[in-house]
Amino acid sequence: MSWEHYGTVASPIYTLFGLAGISLFLGMSAFTPGQAKPKPKAPAQAKTGAQIYQAKCAPCHGVKGQGGAAYPKPLTGTQSVGDLSKFIAQQMPPGPVKCAAPDAAKVAQYMFDTFYSSLAQERNRPARVSLSRLTVRQFKNSVTDLISGMQPSWGRGTRGGLSATYFRGRLWEGKDPIKRVDSSIGAQFGTEAPKVPGLDQVDPHKFSIRWVGSVEAPDTGEYEFIVRSDQAVRLYLNGQSKPFIDGWIRSSNDNEFRASVPLIGGQAYPIVLEFSKSTVGVDDTEKRKKLKPAPAFVELQWKRPKLAVETIPSRFLFSQEVRESYVVSTRFPADDRSIGYERGSSVSKAWDDATTESALDAAGYVASHCKLVTGVDPNAADAKKKLAELFLRTAERAFRRPLTPDQKQLYVEKHFVDSVSTESAIKRSLLMILKSPRFLYREIGQAEKDTYLVASQLAYGLWDTLPDEELMRAAAAGSLVTKEQVEAQANRMVRDPRAWAKLREFLLAWLKVDEIPDLVKSAKRYPEFDNATASDLRQSLEILLQETAGSEASDYRQLMLTQEMPMNGRLAQIYGGGLPKDADFQPVKLGDDRAGVLTHPYMLSRLAYLETSSPIHRGVLVARSMLGRTLQPPPAAFAPLAPSLHPGLTTRQRVAMQTKPDACNSCHSMINPLGFAFERFDAIGKARSEENSKAIDSTGFYRTRGGAVVKFSGPADLANYLANSDEAHAAFTEKLFHHMVKQPALAYRPTLISELKTSFVKNQFSIKRLMAETVVQTSLATERKPAVQTPKGAAK
Amino acid sequence: MRIERTRREFIRDMGLSAAMLPFVTNLPSVSELALLPRKKRLVIIFSPDGIVPKTFWPDQVGTNFELKESLKPLEPFKSKTLILNGVSDRVRGDGDNHMRGIGCLLTGIELFPGNVQGGSDTPAGWASGHSIDQEIKNHLQKSMVTRTRFGSLEFGVMVPEHADTWTRMVYAGPNKPIAPIDDPYQMFGKLYGQMKDQETLKSVLDDLQADMAKVKSQLSAQDRLLLDEHASLVRDMEKEIQASRKKDVGHKVPEMPAGVRRDNDKMPELSKLQIDLMVSSFVADSTRIATLQYTNSVGQARMSWLGIKEGQHDLSHEPDSNKEAQEKLTKINRWYCEQLAYLCKRLAETPENDGTGNMLDNTTVVWTNELGQGNSHTLENIPFVLVGNGLDFKMGRSVKFNSLPHNRLLMSLAHGMGHPIKRFGNGDFCGDGPLPGLA
Repeated sequence: MSWEHYGTVASPIYTLFGLAGISLFLGMSAFTPGQAKPKPKAPAQAKTGAQIYQAKCAPCHGVKGQGGAAYPKPLTGTQSVGDLSKFIAQQMPPGPVKCAAPDAAKVAQYMFDTFYSSLAQERNRPARVSLSRLTVRQFKNSVTDLISGMQPSWGRGTRGGLSATYFRGRLWEGKDPIKRVDSSIGAQFGTEAPKVPGLDQVDPHKFSIRWVGSVEAPDTGEYEFIVRSDQAVRLYLNGQSKPFIDGWIRSSNDNEFRASVPLIGGQAYPIVLEFSKSTVGVDDTEKRKKLKPAPAFVELQWKRPKLAVETIPSRFLFSQEVRESYVVSTRFPADDRSIGYERGSSVSKAWDDATTESALDAAGYVASHCKLVTGVDPNAADAKKKLAELFLRTAERAFRRPLTPDQKQLYVEKHFVDSVSTESAIKRSLLMILKSPRFLYREIGQAEKDTYLVASQLAYGLWDTLPDEELMRAAAAGSLVTKEQVEAQANRMVRDPRAWAKLREFLLAWLKVDEIPDLVKSAKRYPEFDNATASDLRQSLEILLQETAGSEASDYRQLMLTQEMPMNGRLAQIYGGGLPKDADFQPVKLGDDRAGVLTHPYMLSRLAYLETSSPIHRGVLVARSMLGRTLQPPPAAFAPLAPSLHPGLTTRQRVAMQTKPDACNSCHSMINPLGFAFERFDAIGKARSEENSKAIDSTGFYRTRGGAVVKFSGPADLANYLANSDEAHAAFTEKLFHHMVKQPALAYRPTLISELKTSFVKNQFSIKRLMAETVVQTSLATERKPAVQTPKGAAK
Repeated sequence: MRIERTRREFIRDMGLSAAMLPFVTNLPSVSELALLPRKKRLVIIFSPDGIVPKTFWPDQVGTNFELKESLKPLEPFKSKTLILNGVSDRVRGDGDNHMRGIGCLLTGIELFPGNVQGGSDTPAGWASGHSIDQEIKNHLQKSMVTRTRFGSLEFGVMVPEHADTWTRMVYAGPNKPIAPIDDPYQMFGKLYGQMKDQETLKSVLDDLQADMAKVKSQLSAQDRLLLDEHASLVRDMEKEIQASRKKDVGHKVPEMPAGVRRDNDKMPELSKLQIDLMVSSFVADSTRIATLQYTNSVGQARMSWLGIKEGQHDLSHEPDSNKEAQEKLTKINRWYCEQLAYLCKRLAETPENDGTGNMLDNTTVVWTNELGQGNSHTLENIPFVLVGNGLDFKMGRSVKFNSLPHNRLLMSLAHGMGHPIKRFGNGDFCGDGPLPGLA
């Protein structure tokens, strides 16, 4: 007898149960050993599906359904839970007495979730490092670095502003121009000359200013730049060949110019703003000197993805111009994030088309900007020879290892033969390289576990991009073998801005704020909370992350406990701090209840409704992200109880009432007491002591995986627990690992996470050191050998 | 048989989807050809700084006239030429005559006040309306029968890099100048880039697939599945390319010589490349409207290949009494006229693929200028020389008007292209509609 005789009906119920089954399994079974379950209301003696199966079925079918002597076939298949249940009730066990229907249902569900369904089988498969393509982020970074890396890069200079030059003439003329750094570009000159020390005797009819430097994009996305002026203005962004915004010709009364561009997070782009007060064309200064000077102003702003328009903050401006860089602007389908982190585990037509389109675009860019990108004049007699050499190095960098003579021929040399035009040689070779599986996939080839693999693991693990020159050199020299050697590289790399970009991205995902939402509150209830507030709060949160996790110490406990919130004048009006209205961001102590990032008003507003707080959202974040608990989704969709229908209740009472049923309680007994701790903050994250004239109750508790009950009196207490809890440390370590490595930790070593956690604690909770340790351990866990007998003429 | 082919071409060129086919092919007609109007085209060529009236305007009026020195290159096309004297740019307002000359030439409307100061008058900005070529383009793009891939193409030869009132002739709308493309390679990329990309892609696919197979052999069985899936996507792409190649442009992609740089001395080569590309774009029916702008208003071409060392604009300021300068200016304008003649020759020797004669039978080329004469900066008697039969005007004539506003000629162009507009630009200069007696 087999399950298959039952026929295979692809029932929609299969999917429903299958999906619910996963969460049930993860939620309850993964961490249940030893957990004190909330007291069940059902009769205490009722047996679980597992107990029934192990007692009645396992003797024949095996404890994991693998089959036994009496029935050797494994219990796997495609029946739905309902079908299985019916079958068991009617047919099992053999003999006259059949399984009772309720028990059969429990057994069916247990089997389905644990080993029967294809999803269960997938889950039970031993974890392995599987072939992955570059994620979209990795692809975009790699293409940019590959093209920018054809020539040495230029430094960004110092953070904090653009280099400004003030000229006495209308077009960068006049003697003794004054140079200085301007932290932001926004000047109302009125009818006068700019008030710049040293710049005297300037004719208010004619002067010109040029700001030069770099601007850093914090996130990947579409940026809008806005130049406002009543005079001739021109903005160059990422390239001098064509103005990005051209307001040089004034025509009609339009004083605002806007343009958008996709930029990549963590990258800096050259920016030049030119301003001239005067007419352009024929110089008519003498004629205008008889007239009263016209007023003049200039302003440079931007609109970051989904944030409000603002003057570009000085922390994103640098004093030197970096080299123009290529930006992949092709739209890609989003990466798989089904298991909590982005990974390149699948390919699709949309993805393949996007890689082709961007490869063609990149190849076209290099061909048409040959001199700029490669430094080689395409019309020079020896252009092809020089370019072929350069492209060999480029291919080597793209593939993260030296090429064999065959590969050199295939990817580079055959394209740069005499009969082909330089332009099409560039295009073909680069297109081949960018479409090659050797570029698109990571960790290809079992036979190639060597120092180059280590270099690649370090670079993608810490930076999400190609190994830099130093790593490639170390790989070629075979000096990425010992733990000390690998550590030295990791420690260098973790201080690079690219490592911070990756960590920042992780933190935003960990806090569930990586997709910037439209943060809107009830205008009636919170008239003070507008778009500018939401935008300011986002900035404030990002500064908090930068100042804690992004600092030298990079201390996780500081992230979880800091009492200082970055506030500017506008935010201080709402949240306190007593700053002047126009004050820039600065750390402010907002009261004893503020402790760490979870009490940041942005987080609290985000995890709240239009008018009321949401202990459930807040509790879910703590349970899932901070404590690493898995929660199954609610059994059905519930709308929160309307506060207006229960005017006498506090939010806490309302939530408790709604989640009282047993079906809710299995999860909400964990969620609610965590979320209640933040009840001292309202829907915009402002401190409060009462709600609906009732005192706030912010006590809560958490039942640990070990069954101990930890009680908190409020947010600071909870933050303290999270900062010091072993569970939280393990959860943080594991989540960071997966974000960085994008492979299951178990595939490397069952004890890897626990070892990393131990070193995290030992290293004063330095997140950056944890990052370094993570890549070091991952690469050491892979068998490796020095790169020997590299093909002739390969990496030097 | 030929009718069959033409209909297929029509459908292909229109880019009609399979869903539209039944509609098109079910048109109730005896001869499908008769239903397809001939492809009318309009080209406007600009050269700067005025002309030398003495060596330009014919002495006679009517069909019996003699081409003077500046227009001599048009001799082979005399019967298809229409010379319009007495058409004037009446638009006034801000900006000097060079600025208004080019900025109002095709727009027929004032410039906005602005910050561009000319040699005289008040400063100005961009034109406050769109140009006639764009008006006609928008009209053609509305109909499925006349719609083309680009609608219009803006060619240039040695147009300076800076965008200001003196360098822009074509406007998509008020304050919306369109920069001409004066790099033939860039224009080539615009016309054939996609196709070239596909060729490049196709040329590397076999090698890629071969290497993919090698990579695959190094993978474990489980990992191989992912690469198998990828490989099948690459095969799909190859099939798609093959399918799309069958819908190619219908003519040979022109060969571009390497390395013709944007350089004053390369003007003759650049000009020829641009004209050849324009004719190619007509063969592919990628556009029916084209403009070709030589340098800019106040342009300073130095025609060393004619033995002239001075810049054109400097020369154009010389008085009529300076014989040598006037001779040079005549030579310069004759060179521009040669470019016009070369375009006409190319059009005349290119047959229409729908059997309606050659391209010059269906194309009208207008050659014009921002000034009537350089040294006086006059906007009276703006040169307008038309060649070809695209607009169904009565050709082979020299016509003299008594200073009629050029807005009326702009309207004539629209009417000739099947777009009978009631006014264009500043309505005060539209008088009784199109110029009398052209058609």
